[in-house]
Amino acid sequence: MVKLPCTGRITPQILLKALEDGADGVCGVGCMEGDCHFIDGNIKARKIINYTKKVLVSIGVEPERVAMYNLSASDGPLFAKYANEFHKIIKGLGPLYLTKEAKEVLNG
Amino acid sequence: MDKNRSEKDIPAEPRVGVYVCHCGGNISNTVDVEKVADAASRMHGVTIARRNMFMCSDPGQDLITNDIRNGKINRVVVAACAPSLHELTFRSAILRTGLNPYLYVHANIREQVSFVHDGDEATNKAIAIVAAAVGKVKEFKPLEVTSVDVKGHVTVIGAGVAGLKSAIDIAKRGLKVSLIEKSPFLGGQTALLDKLYPYGDKASDIITALAKEAVSHSNIEIHTCSEVVKQEGYIGNFKLTILKKPPSDENELFNMDKVATGAITSNEYMDFIGFYHNSPPEAQKEFRIETGAIVIATGFHSYIPYQGEYGYREFPEVITLRELIRELAKNNETDEFFRINGRTIKNIAMIHCVGSRQVEGIHMPDQNGFINPNCSRTCCTGLLHSALEIINRHKGTTIFNIYRDIRTYGRLHEELYAEASAKGVRFVRFNVENQPVVKKNHEGYTLSVFAKDNLLQNEELEIPADLVVLATGMHPGEIEPLIDLLKIHCGADGFLLEVHPKLRPVEVFTAGIYLAGSCQAPMDVTEATAAASAAASKASILLSKGKVNLEPFVSKVDKDACARCLTCLRACPFDVPVMEDDGAYINPAACYGCGTCVSACPGGAISLAQYDNVEICSQVKGAIDPGITATNNEI
Repeated sequence: MVKLPCTGRITPQILLKALEDGADGVCGVGCMEGDCHFIDGNIKARKIINYTKKVLVSIGVEPERVAMYNLSASDGPLFAKYANEFHKIIKGLGPLYLTKEAKEVLNG
Repeated sequence: MDKNRSEKDIPAEPRVGVYVCHCGGNISNTVDVEKVADAASRMHGVTIARRNMFMCSDPGQDLITNDIRNGKINRVVVAACAPSLHELTFRSAILRTGLNPYLYVHANIREQVSFVHDGDEATNKAIAIVAAAVGKVKEFKPLEVTSVDVKGHVTVIGAGVAGLKSAIDIAKRGLKVSLIEKSPFLGGQTALLDKLYPYGDKASDIITALAKEAVSHSNIEIHTCSEVVKQEGYIGNFKLTILKKPPSDENELFNMDKVATGAITSNEYMDFIGFYHNSPPEAQKEFRIETGAIVIATGFHSYIPYQGEYGYREFPEVITLRELIRELAKNNETDEFFRINGRTIKNIAMIHCVGSRQVEGIHMPDQNGFINPNCSRTCCTGLLHSALEIINRHKGTTIFNIYRDIRTYGRLHEELYAEASAKGVRFVRFNVENQPVVKKNHEGYTLSVFAKDNLLQNEELEIPADLVVLATGMHPGEIEPLIDLLKIHCGADGFLLEVHPKLRPVEVFTAGIYLAGSCQAPMDVTEATAAASAAASKASILLSKGKVNLEPFVSKVDKDACARCLTCLRACPFDVPVMEDDGAYINPAACYGCGTCVSACPGGAISLAQYDNVEICSQVKGAIDPGITATNNEI
């Protein structure tokens, strides 16, 4: 779990680096849309995550490995539900193997 | 990166000390803390890993300060509770040793681990979280607290009961106050009430007392008929533009007519209007106020039922609770029956939760598509208070309360409920999906309310009534322009949002702005004045020292790398970055530290202290691969 000041701080680089370093999936968890403390950081984050999904498709990786969830900070049970849901998706996809070509693309 | 940062305490090689807390068993009963400390001691960069029953205790803190003073470590990870509890405790401990207090990460292995996991899973997750924290702290650079001068002046927006109370409290602490009120009258929505529960004090007495104190205080400057139209600046140094204009609202003009007829003079209270201070301006004018802090006390919007909602504006015998309060205030008669305009009222049906606790698909949204999910909190007690006044004065009148739930939650509120029950007020409980229906009655009464009583297996009851009273709720104030100007935000329910409901209940994310009263949530007068005093205290604390220290977790532009593409100006939700000749500039006092600009900058020219790519990626790497070696360091 990586704490960020706002999901608006998420970038494709951070998500892709996590996958490159050995994570099998990365999800962003932000406030409910409309409840962002920084106006619209969570909406920007959703766009960034959707963009990252496209990058993943272009290098042959399942786009489901990145996801965005929204919940309110006090909603522990919903967080657990989303965490289990995402875990199940990633478990279903299995470990991530990046091809040599994909790694080359990511390293630009 | 920042060239001005002090290099003196950046060590060539990070030496991390990891301190694992048992939390008296809260952590250690679930997590094998010994194993966590052992794993931590073998992580790259860690020189010491220790455990303690309570790291937040003095002996616990001493472990850290001694290791720093003995030169064993120069960075700290404390694995314990949530950072919101003790991050500042340990930062202060580190500061006492002279080490930069920002070379520290608080790893949460209680709320995120021991409270939610068991067994090996818990221990392994704790190790991963500690490894991530170690990865992060190794990349940290010392940060310096910046301090800015503040103006000893507060602007309070809204002169209802909360605004008046806030202004007086602040003025008494020796600070100057500008009180900005949109209407020509002071007193807000409280002035539209009569006797206030639970004690029955008169709203007029409360508002008159507060308004007279505000008007006569030399530190308070009152601007009626005024609105904030522009805001610049930042904590301690806001610049507000105020527009003062003659009243134009229909209701205000109607009230001003009473002033014109001489029915009310300067510094006098008029029932159901408010406290009249001085004449409105003849012509529109603008002026500026330089202020250190802002208290928002803009109140709420009282829900007005739509035509036909429970017969409102369809049958004249359907009125709101506010209208009933005005009727009750007209006289002190104690006849057998309550009367309105000479009409005898034998039965009253009071319907609760009108415009409150609305459910999608059942209740009609307003013109903006808004559904109010909140309980308005004041209507149950308000209704029962009025019901008691009626039956205490008019023994013959019978009252039915048609309710979903009775929420007489406050001190001495439950007593009103008990008294109403004992004195024969009848209660009929309905489910939200079975909305009561108001129809014409032809058998001696004017109206009938059809309600399905869920305590009688939803049997439909016909309640004959001469009067139907709707307990209308509190909707968020209509202050969108102000919300945009001040860059504050509201929750999904439309009320203004605080930083944290328990830990920072009257602050908003924009530093230097505070919330007072029912702009934040439905509150009664008692709660609104308490919140107003809280907001006044927070504003006074901020301004009392003349300077304010700002957290260093803000964005900074490396002007050499800035391409002046303006992306950050567009990305920032608060319009903080400005373009200078040599590149973008972000004022550290105005920056919120959300990091949106860092993500947006195509040139990577902006850095956010402790949340740079290198720090985030190092943390992620630590979590994925803790890098535990075979060799033990000191435990």
